Amino acid sequence: MSAGRHSQAQLEPRNAPAVSYWPARLDLLQGASGLLLVLFMWAHMTFVSSILVSEEAMYRVSLMFEGYYVFGSSHPWLVSVVALAITALLMLHAVLAMRKFPQNARQYADFLAHRRRMHHTDTTLWWWQLVTGFLLFFMAPAHLYTMFSQADQIGPYASSWRVYSTQWPLYLVLLVVVEIHAALGLYRLIVKWGWLRSVSRKYLRMIIGGLAVYLVLHGVSTLLAYYKLGETLRDTPGLRYQPVEVHP
Amino acid sequence: MKVLHTDVLVIGGGLAGLRAAIAARRRGLEVTVLSIVPPKRSHSAAAQGGMQASLANCLKGFGDNEDVHFADTVRGSDWGADQAVARMFVHMAPKAIRELAHWGVPWNRVAPGAQSAVINGEKVELRERAEAAGLITARNFGGTAKWRACYVSDGTGHSMLYTISDQAIAASIPVHERIEALSLVHDGARCRGAIARNLMTGELLAYTAGATCIATGGFGRIYEVSTNAIINQGMGAAIALETGVAELGNMEAVQFHPTAIFPAGILVTEGCRGDGGLLLDRNEHRFMPDYEPEKAELASRDVVSRHMESHINKGLGATSRFGEHLWLDIRLLGEDHINTRLREVKEICQYFLGIDPARELIPVRPAQHYSMGGIRTDAHGQSGTLKGLFACGEAACWDLHGFNRLGGNSVAETVVAGMLVGESMADFCLGNEASVDTGLVREFFEREQAALDNLRRRGGAQRVTALNAAMQSAMTRNVGIYRDADGLQAAVAELGSLLERCADIGLQSGGHGADPELVLAYRLPRMLKLALCVAQGALNRTESRGAHCRLDFPERDDSQWLNRTLARWPAGAALPELRYEALDIMAMELPPAWRGYGSRDFIPHPQQAQRQREVEAATEQYGNRFERQEALMPYTHLLPERYRSHNARLFEDGQGAFNDPEAAGGAAE
Amino acid sequence: MNDAAVIAKDGEEHGARRLRFEIFRFNPCDPDSRPHYDTFELDDAPGMTLFIALNLIREQQDPGLQFDFVCRAGICGSCAMLINGRPTLACRTLTGTLPDTVRLSPLPVFELIGDLSVNTGKWMRQMSERLRTWVDVAEDVDLDSLETPMDPDAAQAIYELERCIECGCCVAGCGTAVMRESFVGAVGLNKMARFRLDPRDTREDADFFELIGTDEGIFGCMSLLGCDDVCPKDLPLQTQLAYLRRKMAKVTLTG
Repeated sequence: MSAGRHSQAQLEPRNAPAVSYWPARLDLLQGASGLLLVLFMWAHMTFVSSILVSEEAMYRVSLMFEGYYVFGSSHPWLVSVVALAITALLMLHAVLAMRKFPQNARQYADFLAHRRRMHHTDTTLWWWQLVTGFLLFFMAPAHLYTMFSQADQIGPYASSWRVYSTQWPLYLVLLVVVEIHAALGLYRLIVKWGWLRSVSRKYLRMIIGGLAVYLVLHGVSTLLAYYKLGETLRDTPGLRYQPVEVHP
Repeated sequence: MKVLHTDVLVIGGGLAGLRAAIAARRRGLEVTVLSIVPPKRSHSAAAQGGMQASLANCLKGFGDNEDVHFADTVRGSDWGADQAVARMFVHMAPKAIRELAHWGVPWNRVAPGAQSAVINGEKVELRERAEAAGLITARNFGGTAKWRACYVSDGTGHSMLYTISDQAIAASIPVHERIEALSLVHDGARCRGAIARNLMTGELLAYTAGATCIATGGFGRIYEVSTNAIINQGMGAAIALETGVAELGNMEAVQFHPTAIFPAGILVTEGCRGDGGLLLDRNEHRFMPDYEPEKAELASRDVVSRHMESHINKGLGATSRFGEHLWLDIRLLGEDHINTRLREVKEICQYFLGIDPARELIPVRPAQHYSMGGIRTDAHGQSGTLKGLFACGEAACWDLHGFNRLGGNSVAETVVAGMLVGESMADFCLGNEASVDTGLVREFFEREQAALDNLRRRGGAQRVTALNAAMQSAMTRNVGIYRDADGLQAAVAELGSLLERCADIGLQSGGHGADPELVLAYRLPRMLKLALCVAQGALNRTESRGAHCRLDFPERDDSQWLNRTLARWPAGAALPELRYEALDIMAMELPPAWRGYGSRDFIPHPQQAQRQREVEAATEQYGNRFERQEALMPYTHLLPERYRSHNARLFEDGQGAFNDPEAAGGAAE
Repeated sequence: MNDAAVIAKDGEEHGARRLRFEIFRFNPCDPDSRPHYDTFELDDAPGMTLFIALNLIREQQDPGLQFDFVCRAGICGSCAMLINGRPTLACRTLTGTLPDTVRLSPLPVFELIGDLSVNTGKWMRQMSERLRTWVDVAEDVDLDSLETPMDPDAAQAIYELERCIECGCCVAGCGTAVMRESFVGAVGLNKMARFRLDPRDTREDADFFELIGTDEGIFGCMSLLGCDDVCPKDLPLQTQLAYLRRKMAKVTLTG
């Protein structure tokens, strides 16, 4: 027992822990990489769907990505570089996101039990975000590897043939999964950082859900267009599209 | 036997206990708090409306000071209070509230300029002074001359409790949660700690301490319908009573709050009426002005509750499937006011009644609310008969409230008494060597162990829930708002027989670990002893004073009953032993008179006129209110030195005089 | 007759529907006890809350049934439990709003005391100590002088966040807290938001970052927002969590 007054500071000296900015940085990076991937994916879908305009349009787009309009000649390795960069971004995003996954069997069981009990929309949606993310971890690299390794095989006919002959089941599933994951990710980002505060979560879910449905439909029609075009190439595999006219 | 030693043992983790613990801790003592629930769950959190402190910041509080607060408190007590204690309290309340403001309580503040308010059913505009901007504001409460109830929306107690509890955590004060003190360890003259039980595991523990403080709140649960939390079973007061040495004061003084929602008995704050809410009967007629032309709904709680009950007895109550009640109308306050200042009330109405109080009437009826009585202490918070035993807050009869407490004075008392009693305990510990007789501790430990073992094993015929219901029913029927000799005699007889039957309680459950049946089984006889103190005290007191209202003795009788009831329970006795401690009228700063509301008739004390003349002479002799006060009833020597200075107020000069610059200069408007 | 008895009698007299309660039972102190659900039946009645219903079950059917109520008015936070899987306050849940079969379980995450009773107090105290949930005042104030003025709106804004009753619903409703024991939950983060608002608190954002700029703090939150949807006090948790995250991210980027 000691007499005399104690101030709070005396009673409990402050033990300042070493501050680490890493948890914050990793969380920021996870969000930023996700957002970039969403934006990339939307741009990608837009460019790919140029086939809905015309074969020529799609051809021009592919030329553009091969640097034709910059260098005056096609350099498919540019596409390989982009594919590689996106793969890297994807891997980064996946690794960061996995930090948030359940880490062991007990955590899985606890979370799943929680989800079943709660009947809570945003909790359930997070589970689907996790599941679609897990699928994308395998499916997206498959697609990206094709693009990386066959960057010269992108064009109205070459792509259509690839879709028709082998890839359409992957693309169809990938399309749906990626749109769901992107929509969920975007929604999560918006509520997480408090953007669009005047919109309730319920409305936000409706808006983003609507957008996702539209993008899936749009993607399916694009895929269908490639498939149908590919079908016409059944007897001439390997045929390359001949442009109507090439601007110098 | 597990024995834990501490300098100061505080039993009860509500506002009073935690504040006392902080005070003792700040004096360098080792403090341990026992609480039967996590401290932030304590009933202090239920205080909604406000804390009385004469800050005089808001327009309607202008001119308020310690003198006005003192007079309101003493009138409210119906002259049952210890006036020196009331003086200590009104002097400390501004300090307590300012300390809380510093510690983080978000008191509502004065917004300068025009503010709308509802007074006596009329919408009015109040123009708050620019000088007061941002200072702590106040609302009106019952039985007060000024707007003095400082508040945090209607979660005042919640905010205070969270702030103090967090400060206790900041001060590293250990709170042993879900630990219940079962008996006090004492040698007949000095208290040495307590035997306690872990409510999670059933384990018994011994705590030894230099000073032991009981701050366990009230005992409302001896009644059927109470606004009290269900933990308010008065166990702290009961274990003090069971020492056979410590005494309980004024147990018959039990307050009934006018506005408990019907039938659940959940409180809606006095702030509803303070802010302008009205009481209506079955015809939606505002009946209170018929009975109390001056104060109407804002007379003291005892008076309003009695008028409500008698109005219902006249057949003017509204009827519902659950019985008769009256209406509280706060619709006139408007939705904005309800959403910001009365939001807990709104939630309570929404969840428990399914109504929106901005649009609908609230069904209310008086319900047991507060125990003015408790462990009798001196002005320093120590038992006069058992040294080393202290008490503060509702568990104590420090005797600030006498026979009726004013709204907003209880939360104020908890922190003020905590501040003072914590200091007293530190003085006591530092001035007395703490020696522990292990044999004594073992004796008490084994006694409790044997009692619990016996309770588990004996397999008696009595069911504890039935006995509990019978006790609550007897108290409600016969020891309620209105009392008479026949009912009280019946209550004493019935409670006595219930206490006997407790010896034959048999448990249906195993009685192990956290078993709730066992808990009620050992608490019930203790509650019955408190109930008997209430009923016996009420039977003996052949007058009406404050909340104690005898239909057969309707007048306050200062000639016979200007005194305090003290109850002691000798070991093995069937009834409490009562004695009476006279209140010295010649030492009173405010001699008995009419309260300003309620019954105008009383039988005066023979020395009343003489004391009244002395008081009037002093008033003429001294121009300065501090000097006058000092001459009539010195009290500052009772305070720790560092709390003796005067309280600063806006527009108050060093002589304690209030000078409103706008009123004086005739400026502004 | 107390309120419970009045209401129960009313139910019997008016021929109410039969409610079926499936209640989690387990006494960790009893070596023979195994976790299971017991079923109890009771007549519903208008105005009956789970506080009344559980007490009637204890009085009439099983005196050993463990649960916690203190204020029974929705303000003390003692009685949070899972009602058909969702955490909420039992005392103010009217049985009339529930289906015929009601499953009651103790809150997850917290240490189980027995049946429906969990040790939220211990969890909250540890959280408070970790996060230093008090106004960090450097020195004592002169209690005789006028208090320091404060903006009335600021006081009100603080109270908005201070209405938290530490019931634990947000923790039990949080997917992150359910998986990771060390997560401070919305209750802890909301407190930090409250003290951050308080002009009396001397801490800066960099100080708050030390406390919550971690994976156990704001950057562990995955925005599942079960907390926001189950909070019995309707605290603006979604807004506060996002706000804190932005402020703490700013510390990272600028500090």
